[in-house]
This record gives sequence, C-alpha cells and structure tokens, in this order.
Amino acid sequence: MTEQKRSRVLMEVRDLQMHFPVNHGLLSRKHSVLKAVDGVSFSLLAGETFGLVGESGCGKTTVGRTLVRLYKPTAGEILFDGTDIAPLAEREVLPYRRRMQMIFQDPYASLNPRMTVSSIIGEPMRLQGFPEAEIRERVRELISQVGLKSDHLSRYPHEFSGGQRQRIGIARALATRPEFIVCDEPISALDVSIQAQVINMLEELQEKLGITYLFISHDLSMVSHISHRVGVMYLGHLVEMADMRELYTHNLHPYTQALMSAVPIADPDVAAASQRIVLQGDVPAPIDPPPGCPFRSRCRYCTGACAETMPEMREVSPGHFLACHVKG
Amino acid sequence: MALLEVSGLRTTFHIGVGTVQAVRGISFHVDKGEFIGIVGESGSGKSVTMLSVMGLLPQYAEVKADSIRFDGRELSQMSPRELRSLHGKEIGMIFQDPMTSLNPLFTVENQMVEPLRIHLGMSRERARLRALELLHQVEIPNPEQRLRQYPHEFSGGMRQRVMIAIAIACSPKMVIADEPTTALDVTIQAQILELLENLKREMNTSVVMITHDLGVIASMCSRILVMYGGVICEEGSVRDIFYRARHPYTWGLLNSIPRIHHDSHEKLVPIRGTPPDMLKPPEGCPFAPRCQYCMPVCRRYMAPPTDLGDGHLVHCHLMHPKAPKVERGGLQHD
Repeated sequence: MTEQKRSRVLMEVRDLQMHFPVNHGLLSRKHSVLKAVDGVSFSLLAGETFGLVGESGCGKTTVGRTLVRLYKPTAGEILFDGTDIAPLAEREVLPYRRRMQMIFQDPYASLNPRMTVSSIIGEPMRLQGFPEAEIRERVRELISQVGLKSDHLSRYPHEFSGGQRQRIGIARALATRPEFIVCDEPISALDVSIQAQVINMLEELQEKLGITYLFISHDLSMVSHISHRVGVMYLGHLVEMADMRELYTHNLHPYTQALMSAVPIADPDVAAASQRIVLQGDVPAPIDPPPGCPFRSRCRYCTGACAETMPEMREVSPGHFLACHVKG
Repeated sequence: MALLEVSGLRTTFHIGVGTVQAVRGISFHVDKGEFIGIVGESGSGKSVTMLSVMGLLPQYAEVKADSIRFDGRELSQMSPRELRSLHGKEIGMIFQDPMTSLNPLFTVENQMVEPLRIHLGMSRERARLRALELLHQVEIPNPEQRLRQYPHEFSGGMRQRVMIAIAIACSPKMVIADEPTTALDVTIQAQILELLENLKREMNTSVVMITHDLGVIASMCSRILVMYGGVICEEGSVRDIFYRARHPYTWGLLNSIPRIHHDSHEKLVPIRGTPPDMLKPPEGCPFAPRCQYCMPVCRRYMAPPTDLGDGHLVHCHLMHPKAPKVERGGLQHD
C-alpha cells in the first residue's frame, strides 16, 4: 500500500475508557476500580497497520478487545466507518462483527479442540448466517490462502504445530472478509523461525486485501517491522503516538525512550554502541491510580506538575502526538 | 581453562508413544569465568542439555555420556546424593519462571537460608545476615522487610532477583540461567540483564545462558552454541556467529529477526517448514528437510565438525572442500 492510499479514516477512537470493578470479597465494603484503559484517543486509517506497544498490564489488549466490542466500553466513542459502535447492544453489534475480526495470542487456547479445522474456519460465517455451500467453498479457498492443504480441513487442532494453528486462526479471522483485524500478540507464542513466516503472511494479506490491522505486541522490534504508525501505552494511557520512523528516530516521551533502549538488539556491534536506559522499579497497579502522569513514579524528569494533572495529548510535529509535561 | 567439559552427551525420554531423542551426541566445554550462550528454538534440546549435565531430569529420562567433567570431577559417575551436594553450592541455577521455582509456602528468608545452612553449615543468624547481604547485592529495596515476605508478594522482576540471589548464595563456580528473562517485560528484562552482567563482573563465575532470543545474548555472551534438533550445528565467538556464520540454520535464524535499527523496510526471510519431530528425528542433518542448500549426503549422514579456527566449529557438509560454495542469502551485513 502506498502512502496516498492510506488516507481514509476507518476507525476513530475518542476518549475510550474501560474500567473493571474489583471485588474485595463478599463482606468487604471497599469498592475499587481497575482502570485498564483510561481515556485513549486515536484513529486508524484504512489499509494501515497501527502498532500498539506496552508492557503487560498497560491495557493494550483491553483496547483491542474493546474495539471489536468484546467488551462494552465504560465511556468514549468508537466510530467505525462513521457509526459509533460503543453504545450498541450485543445484537446490534453483530452486523459489524462481519467487518472486524480478531487473531488471538495463544494458538492453543483459541481453537476449540473438539471442532475440526473446517468448522473452526467456517464458524464466523455460520454465525453471520451464510449459506452452507458458500461456507464450504470459502473455507477451501481460505485454507490454501494461509498455506495449508485442503486435506487438513477434516483434522483437529491438536494435530497441528503452533505455527500451523496460528494460520488456522488467521484463516478464521479472514472468513467474513473483514476490513479490520485486531492481531493480539499473534506471534509471541511461536518460535523465532516461525514468527517470520506468520509476519510475512500478514503483510502479504494486507497488500492483497487492503485490511487494516491493529497489531498489539510487547515486542517492539516486531511492531516496528510491521507497523506504519505506533502508539505507546503505559498504565491505561497512550503516552506517545507517531509514524514508526519518526517514533524510532525522534521519540520524546521518557517511557518510549526507555522502552526503545531496552529492546535487545541482535547485533553485537550495534548493541555495544547503544546506550541502555534502565528504568527503576515496576509498573504500578492500575487499581485506583493516583492523579497525575502515570509514569511519574519511574520517570527521571518528573517535576511538580506531573503529580497534579495527567498531561494532555498534543501534536508536537505533524502526526506526532505526545502526552508529557516536561518533554516536547 | 575448561571448567565443564562434556563429550558425547545423549539424552532420551522414554514416553508412552516412543522414545524422544532430545539430545543426540553433543560435545562442548565451558571455560572458567566465561559467559556462554546456548541458543535454539523450543525442542532443540538446549534446556535438556544442561539439565542432563546437572542430573536434574526425571526417572524416565536416560542420560548417556562419554564423560561430563566438572572442575576435575566426573559427574556421570556420581551418585544422585553426590550430585545434590553440587547443586546450589558449586552450580547455581536460575529458571525461566520465578513463580513456579520458588516455594509459595515458605518465606523468602526460609528459602534463602536453606542452601547456606546445608552447604556452608552456617548458623541461622549468620545465614540471615548473608541473605540480607545477597538481597542488597541483587538490588532489592528494603531487604529487612522483604526477607519476611512470601513469593506472591513480589513482582516478576523482584522474584527473579530473589532466584538470582539464591543461585549465587554459595558463590558457585558456574551459574546456569535457563531463559531467565523470557517471562519478564522488556524494561524489567533490561534490569535483570544489567544485574547479571554486574554480578558476572564482580564474581568471575562462569555463566551458561540458555535462550531463544539472539538479542539477549548478542550483548552479553562471549561464546555461543547454536542448537537444532538435539545437536550443535555451529559454535563460536559472538562475532563468529553474528558476522561470520557458516551454517544455513544460523543464517536462517539471523534472517528471520527484524532489525529495529535499520532504516529501510526489509522483508523478513523465514525458514520454511517446521522443526523436526524428535520422536523420529531425520537420519542425517536435522536441518536438512528445511535447508535450501540440502545435498543428498545431508539426508543420510550427520556432518562432522569443521574447525574454521579460534574455536569456530561448523557441523555442515557445505564445509567439505568439494561441496558447492554458498553464501548467506537474505539480509546481508555490509
């Protein structure tokens, strides 16, 4: 896909919030709220890959699941092709499900072990009420599209390796010809040599079919390889967002800088020449977070203002957004 | 000088459906004070190799070796009892998942004091002081309070620090770290790697790092063994492996990882096919079915090691003088 083609906004997310109540036990009067996603805004252009990175617990998976409405958001808007799908009831979401699908992290847990490959891949179409003959034909087309053979169709998931299972998961996601796919850590359970196979396939499918991806991963080197634009999340907030190249060369947020420098580089000379910023401490819990910037407890540049208000997301240069009181 | 010398190690697992040939005749050595990396994908035999050396495998595993010499003693002849006296004392271990390798029912103090009392015969009070010192050494804040806590009160990174503290408690000659950072987030991984590097510098211990992540070992290790299908396919210095690799599998591994520091968008070059089934491993070179340079001989016989100098050993028939000359394809280093 060329730069010119990626201009139509497919999805716009405005101030998305997803809070979960935390139970302190039957007799406890304490009510806490886990703010998994707390005010995230971004847009996805048709045909692009938007990478979402962050460490475990930062809310990146919750964002992905909320966008395809596996969760009903606490607040905020999700404009999909102009319609706000955030407030829709489960039944009203169904027509949109045809247009958006998901690929899951664990290829072992995300395929029903009691279903054959052909019924797994056909399931989304069956739920959408496609005629059986059309499903059969489409399933045959899909299995070859993901590089498996049609005699694999009558087998069960346990007969396949991790990489092959992930291909089955991808075929299932493609079944209803979606415009948008959330890829939630699609390769982190796979071996290095198999990861590249799956990544290349996702790229080829995008070139051929023009699908928009939200690519969620903690592996910054893979995200930077596949994504056009990247958003960095920390504790339920988007802290920086830019074009991949821009983010790599001109990152501004102290967390992005630490995250970038922490990625192990598979090249001894480059690794020796680069400076590693080692953050102190752990990610705080997102339950009842204190006001202010979520990163301030680990930030080297923290000032008084950081403890008071959450920094607003602002555009520091065209297409480069940053939420930080100190930098930019 | 070699601290550990292993030759002809074979490990098989007898399970219901047959025999898994996890390690199929490998020889290697670890020098004193050396930081060595073993890389390979899941099922390549990298963890089983070190567990076999330690004698930590379950009953249904069969370990055979011509010799396993550690610090002048023959481990393969030792009784389980004698081996146990080495564990934790002369050889420390750090495992992948710090949650399952610490006992949830005992406080951290309990678990840290145990090896000190058993191996070094310390009194409870002295052992406690040493434990405090160790927690300090692995940079855990408030060690006094932390000692009284249980593993579940620690975060993943902190638990791994406790594991490291236990592993180095008796100042072992060798530490085996089996995927020590795989379960951790990148910024926490950076903390742990830095800690390991500092400890290595201070203590002059040999460290064997087992990992699937080439990025982790590039900056840490001095020498690397690349394993595939239960055999070593290439070994050499870090620079030999990253810049002068000669085995097609090593090329494949290097070509299939994205490089964040490169400007242009390069397509990844994956290795086609899937790793071998170790119940019925291929007769010849285990990589032959996936190798684009495979020759008829590769399917029949395992290749002998070819020494390219300075300990750079390649187990590949392409090294034979009469074999066709091939170069690493895909992404080329300039």
